[in-house]
Parts: sequence; structure tokens; C-alpha cells
Amino acid sequence: MYENKFHWARKIGFGLRPEDTIPDNIDVWNKEQLKISNVDLGLNGQGQWPDNFNFSLEKRFKRLHTYRTKEKKYDNDDISLDEKNRLRFAARDENIVHLYDVYKYWNNSIYGQDTFHQRLVHFWANHFTVGGSNNFRNYIIGDLIFNTIAENLDGSFSDLLQKVTLHPGMLDYLDNVHSAGENSKFTYTMRKEGKTAGLNDNLSRELLELHTVSTAKEYSEKDIKNTAMILAGWGLSVSDYIENFNEEKSYNNISKNITFKKFIYKPYNKNKAEPGSKVVLGKSFSSGPSSLYKLIKMLAEDDFTAKHLSRKLAIHFLGENVSKEEIQEIYKVWKASNGDLAEVHKVTLKVAQKTKIKKFLWPTTWMFQCIRLSGAQFISDKNRNNGFGKIQKNGLPKYEPLGILDEIGHNFWSSRQPDGYSEKKQDWVSTEHFDRRIRIASRIYAANPSISGEEIAEIYGFSDRTKMAISSAKTSKDKFIVALCSPELMEV
Amino acid sequence: MINRRHFLKVMPPALALSGYPVHGFTKDAVDGRIIIIMLQGGMDGLLAVPPIGDDDLFKQRKALVAANPLKLNPLFGIHPNFKNFSRLLKINEASIVHATSFPYTGRSHFEGQNISQIGLRKPFSVDTGWLGRAMDVAKITGKAMSLDAPLLIRGAMEFDNFYPASISNTSKPKNDLLNLIKNSHDEDMMKTFEKLNQSLMQGSDELRARDPLSLASKAGEAMRHNDGPRVAVLTIPEFDDHSSIGSTTGHHPDLFTLLDSVFGQLKKSLKETWKDSIVLTTTEFGRTVQENGSEGTDHGYGSVGLLAGGLIKQSSVVANWPGLSNKALFEKRDLYATIDYRSVCAACIEAAFGLDHGLIIDKVFQDKNIKRTYHHIFG
Repeated sequence: MYENKFHWARKIGFGLRPEDTIPDNIDVWNKEQLKISNVDLGLNGQGQWPDNFNFSLEKRFKRLHTYRTKEKKYDNDDISLDEKNRLRFAARDENIVHLYDVYKYWNNSIYGQDTFHQRLVHFWANHFTVGGSNNFRNYIIGDLIFNTIAENLDGSFSDLLQKVTLHPGMLDYLDNVHSAGENSKFTYTMRKEGKTAGLNDNLSRELLELHTVSTAKEYSEKDIKNTAMILAGWGLSVSDYIENFNEEKSYNNISKNITFKKFIYKPYNKNKAEPGSKVVLGKSFSSGPSSLYKLIKMLAEDDFTAKHLSRKLAIHFLGENVSKEEIQEIYKVWKASNGDLAEVHKVTLKVAQKTKIKKFLWPTTWMFQCIRLSGAQFISDKNRNNGFGKIQKNGLPKYEPLGILDEIGHNFWSSRQPDGYSEKKQDWVSTEHFDRRIRIASRIYAANPSISGEEIAEIYGFSDRTKMAISSAKTSKDKFIVALCSPELMEV
Repeated sequence: MINRRHFLKVMPPALALSGYPVHGFTKDAVDGRIIIIMLQGGMDGLLAVPPIGDDDLFKQRKALVAANPLKLNPLFGIHPNFKNFSRLLKINEASIVHATSFPYTGRSHFEGQNISQIGLRKPFSVDTGWLGRAMDVAKITGKAMSLDAPLLIRGAMEFDNFYPASISNTSKPKNDLLNLIKNSHDEDMMKTFEKLNQSLMQGSDELRARDPLSLASKAGEAMRHNDGPRVAVLTIPEFDDHSSIGSTTGHHPDLFTLLDSVFGQLKKSLKETWKDSIVLTTTEFGRTVQENGSEGTDHGYGSVGLLAGGLIKQSSVVANWPGLSNKALFEKRDLYATIDYRSVCAACIEAAFGLDHGLIIDKVFQDKNIKRTYHHIFG
């Protein structure tokens, strides 16, 4: 039972800053946590997140388009290679998007008062993994995380699943943009011209295996193929489109009727769709775009999806040794509410409060908690004047917040597999991982924490053994590092 | 007729130019080294080692066959990007096993990757890897060239990692600090901090590069030492491409070049230890025989394994070739795997650690039906 508010805020969130207030009655705080405000705090927790660093999908595509257009121009210009590269990098940095997203990700985790919501965002961003790519997806992963996932965590799972599946990032990452029905007009035309075209089953396989029912459902290869046929037509070839994007015109090579708005919000091209009805898991679906909505609803409401997701939520918040009964409690609410995420998250919080098991935290969760609970300032290194606590003078963000995520092996903008990051302790225990923990702890120490290693040990009720290790350390820096790398802060 | 179901152990005549190297290896020697290169994402075995003598290949595939494969024997060729590997084949220090797979037909990356690491039939059924269990039986240590500790190498024996950090304004942790941190932890966490401490005491290491080539170089360097690790694991990710994967050039071929240079680098850095070494690739599954609609291939079954090292005495392509006609395919779409790749892994364990085949299939793979292929690969 989590009665200590400091432990509890770490179990389900990113912990408390020393100056954070929390009602003595945890239930009151829990109620606050279940409200979703979606107001992003400003950098270092001051004011609101600046609107010029909020990017809609349109803004993101425009920036990418501007960068690409300039890049192409420089390629054709009669200038030296050095000059070309200089201009290219400048164009890239001026139009960069994902570094601001990464700042927001750090900032929300470290300062956000809606700390349970922030943890949920990380959980669902991991469940719906879209791996990064510099040429396109890094421009829109932030949209998936902040504008699609974070904004839809109090509706039905079915809604969230539909929005994520049709997000341009997902459609590109799992190759659906390259898929066309075997009997579609597009495939017919392409083949007539001697080019290849046809189905690609990557998204359909992961939609079933990872996003919804899981392999426990024992669906067949035919179910996967028919799902791919229903998905065919969704997703437009992003890179081609971006290079030719012009707001005033439609893009003729793909379809005469596709406008920029349609490209983003209903990326469906019936010329690539597979005609005729398809059967998935025994249910028949007619042709046309609405069949995907129906299929997604069916998968979202499947009993195996409820089981799969209840288990994943329990493991994420409680720990990998979660009991069947604990999973069952979440599953029951999932079923009764038909996947109402507000209800499901509420019961997850309730079950987490009662559990006796511990969770070995993801490296980012641990890092954000350490910054937060020690009262450090973002992670700027004031003594050496090389931190990234502010967006730089010339208005361009630094790469280090992104680099650190890579270093600790937990980066939502990295290129990686669609099953997301592991929840198993053993996958995060290695000499190199622990080397990173110590290095990060030393960087946090340099970012002006407001409390010491000994004070952390007192507040968080460390064991005598850990306290002994802290008191044996010679410098206040070493004491701080021992405290941050303690078993008490790695697990909760 | 070559294209029939019949056990082929074909010497590549075009390549058998030199005499057989003699390494003084005997079955009693137990001082071998194993290096595994995990090819994550499912390598297309038909693109890497195309059966150019099988007419059905060209009926099934239109684009995804390299324009100028190097001919190994009447049936098989190899993608031209395998330059180092071809040279190793020529000097009888490499072999190929084709139409092979771990026993998994479910086509999920994640179940497949798990099975290729645990070496058992049921995914996610244990928390140790087949290599880790082999290390337990042989009582030897290993090294993972990655940030994390891959499941493959986990067992009771010790291993550590190598994957240098690059965080500005930080330095290697000091020994006294590590001792204090270690003292506050239990069990595996304590052991891991202890291991980190030991690796730091082994001297400073300022090499920061961590691309597969640099890691291969570090692996070889560590394994050369008498008391160094006897096992190493490298990963080459990103074989999981489904569109425009490339035939002569492209993404898959680029990965072949990388893999090929890792083989070359390992031979270079292992130096004299190369003669006691075996390097082998693993992948979770092969790809569909036919191309999909976007010049790629999707999840399949049978693939290919590439082996190199001084423990090999005579180069060969080992295959029980099932053919590529529609009828011969697994579920009408995939290359049939006629050799359980675990039997190849078992042969490598036998060659490198001198363990008895019966013991290996009992303790490591826990499956008595795994056949002994030692004589085909190392005989």
C-alpha cells in the first residue's frame, strides 16, 4: 500500500519536486491526477509553453517542405561543397521541429503537475511505437505524442487506436504508404507500366499482434492478409508529396483530388484500395474506407485486446511480477466500460496503490524523477555554462536533450522496433547501462539540485545500508550520486 | 538434377583454389571462441545467397536478385557485396548453411527474435539464452557489444558489456564511488556494478566509436587475451525493411556490406585467435520468396546462416535444398527450412568448447531430436 506521498508520486508519476505541494489526503491528489488538462508548462516550469514551439501537423509539414525545397536549391546551385553543406545545415536547423518536441517532453516530465498523465503518455507512446527517421518521421513523432496520444487518453481505446493507426507517422513507419490492393487501379496501372505494386502487410501484422489482440488470439495468415487489404489505400507517399508540396495546388501524381488537408486528415486514396469484401476473424467487411473504422472498432473491443492491454498497463505501473488478480481487476473495468480509457486508467491507479510489487523504472523515468525530486534545474550545467536549460540565444535548440535520451537507450525519436521498449528489469541491467546512470547522476548534480544525497535518503526512507553507503562517500557530489543510483530510486 | 530434395554438401569448385589450412585443431581442444552476429529484423536469405542454379528463383522473383552474384557452385551464388566473406570461402575459412531457421513459423519478429535467442520452441518460456546456457556448461565468460545485455548471452555465467558512452562533461566512474554504489545493491544489480568496476580497472579506454565495425574490433581485441571473454555477441539491426529493400544496391545490400566488413574486421582483430574461432550469424526468420507490392519481401521462414573462422577446415554450402517451386514452398510462400539452425549452433558449440553433442542438445537446447551436423560443417 502506497501511503507515503513521495513514494506514491514516483510509483505512478515522475515524483515530486521539493517545492511541490500535495494534499495530505492522497485520494484528493489522485482525483486531480485523473483530470486531464493538456496545458503544457513553459520551459523550467515558468508560465505556459510558447505557442511558437507548438507545431500542428500543417506547421510540421511546411517546415519539412521548406527545408527540402532549400536543400534541393542548394544542390543545384553552383557553389562549393563546403558552402552547400553550411547552407544545408542552416536550412535544416532553421526548420527543425523535433528538438522542440524533445524539450517539451523533458519539460512536461520534470515540471508537469499532471504527472500521472505524463507517465500515461509515455506508456501509450511506447505501446504505439513509431520509430524515428531524419528524413521525415522525426518531424511528426511529436504530433503523435502530444497532439494525438496525450489529447486522447480520456476517450475510448477504439478512438485512440483509430487516430493512431491513421496518423501519417504510423502509416509511414509500418509501410502502409507502400501498400496497394492487388486488384486496385493503382496496382493495375503500375504493373502495366512494368513497375511493382501490391500489398504490404507490415502494419496489418503489428496492428493485430502489438496494438490489439496479440498472438494469443491465434489469428491466421489469412486474417493478416485481409487486414492488409482493408488497410490498403490508407497512407499517401509522404516523401514524394512533401517534395512537391504546394499549398495552392493538389498533387497530381498521386491523385487529382488530394489536397493538403485531405492528405493529413483523411489520407485515403481509393485508387489504391482493394475492391470487394474481406473477412477478418470471421467477420465480413465491405469495400470502402469505412471498413477500416469498423475493423478497428472490432479489434479495439475484442476480449483479447482487453486482456493484452490490461496486462501491459499492470506491468508498466505495478511491475513485471504483477499477479493475475491485479491484471484481472483492470481487465474487468476494461470490459465493463468497453475500453473507456478514463475508467481503465482510474482502476490502474487504484490497483497500483494497493500493490506490494515493485517496478524497475525505465532509464528516462528514473532520470526525470531524479531531476525532479532533487530540485535540479532541468539539466543545465550552470557551473560550466553548457547545459540546455534554455533555448539558445540564436533561437535554435540544442541537440543534447535528444542525445542524452539516445545515450541512456530510451529515446522515442530513435529508429527502433515496433514492439517498443521492454518492461523487463533484465533488459535494463548491464554494466554499460549502469555506467550511464552514474554519468547522468553526475550531470544532475551539476544542475544545481536544491537538496543533498543525505536529504534524499531521509525523505525517501532509504535502508540503513544505502544510508551507510551515502555517508561513506567523501564528497557531496559522490553522496548525491550514490543516492541517485540506489536501489530505492531505481525501483519503486 | 540439382534442384531436388537431397542432401547437398557441395564444395564450391570455383573457390577451392588453395589447399586446406591446417590449424592443429583437435576435438580435445576446448579453447575456442564463438562470436554471434545477430541480424535483427529477418535477413532475406535468398537475396544474400541466391540459389542461382534453381530456375524457380527467377520465376518467383523479378527484381530482388542481385545482377552479378558470385557463383559458388552450380546451385548457389553469393551477393557481390560479400567481398571479405567470399575471400574467406576461397581460403576454406567460411561456410554457408542454407534453407535453415530456428524452429519458428509464426512470422512475428518478436517471438522469432526471442526463439532465436532462447533456442527453445516456445517463445518467452525462459529467461536465459542458448549461448548463456552453453557458457554455463562450459564454464566460460562472455562479452556483449551493446548497451544492454542481450537475452542470448544470459545464463548463470558472467558477462559484461562494451558500448562506450558519449555524454559531455562526464567521465568514467571512479572505483571507490562504484564500490559504495555496489554496496547498497543486492544480487544481480550488485554483480553488475562489480563487473563495471572490474572492467574499469582493466585500464582506460577512450575509444568512443560504437558502430558495428569498431565494436567488432574491440570484441576481437578482448577475446585475443588468454583470460579474455570466449564469447561475444554483436547486433546488426535494421534488417526489418519491407519496401525497396534493394537488389544489387540498396538497404539490404548495404547491410550485407556492413556484415561483410564485420567478418573482415573480426578476422583482423582476433589475429592468431582467429584459428580457434567460429563466427556465425543468426536471424529470426527469412523472407517471403516472392516480392511484395513495394519491392520488398515480408516475414517468412527459411533463411541462411553465414559461418566463418579458423575452426572451419573446408568451405562448403550445407543445404538440404527444398526447391522454390510453388509446391515446394512452406505454406505456398516461404522457403522451407529443412535444417534446424539449432543443430548448426550446436555444432559451433561443440567445435569451440569441445562439448559433447548429446550434452549440448540436452542442457542447452533441451531437445533430443536435434541432429548432429558437426561433420558437415567442421568435418
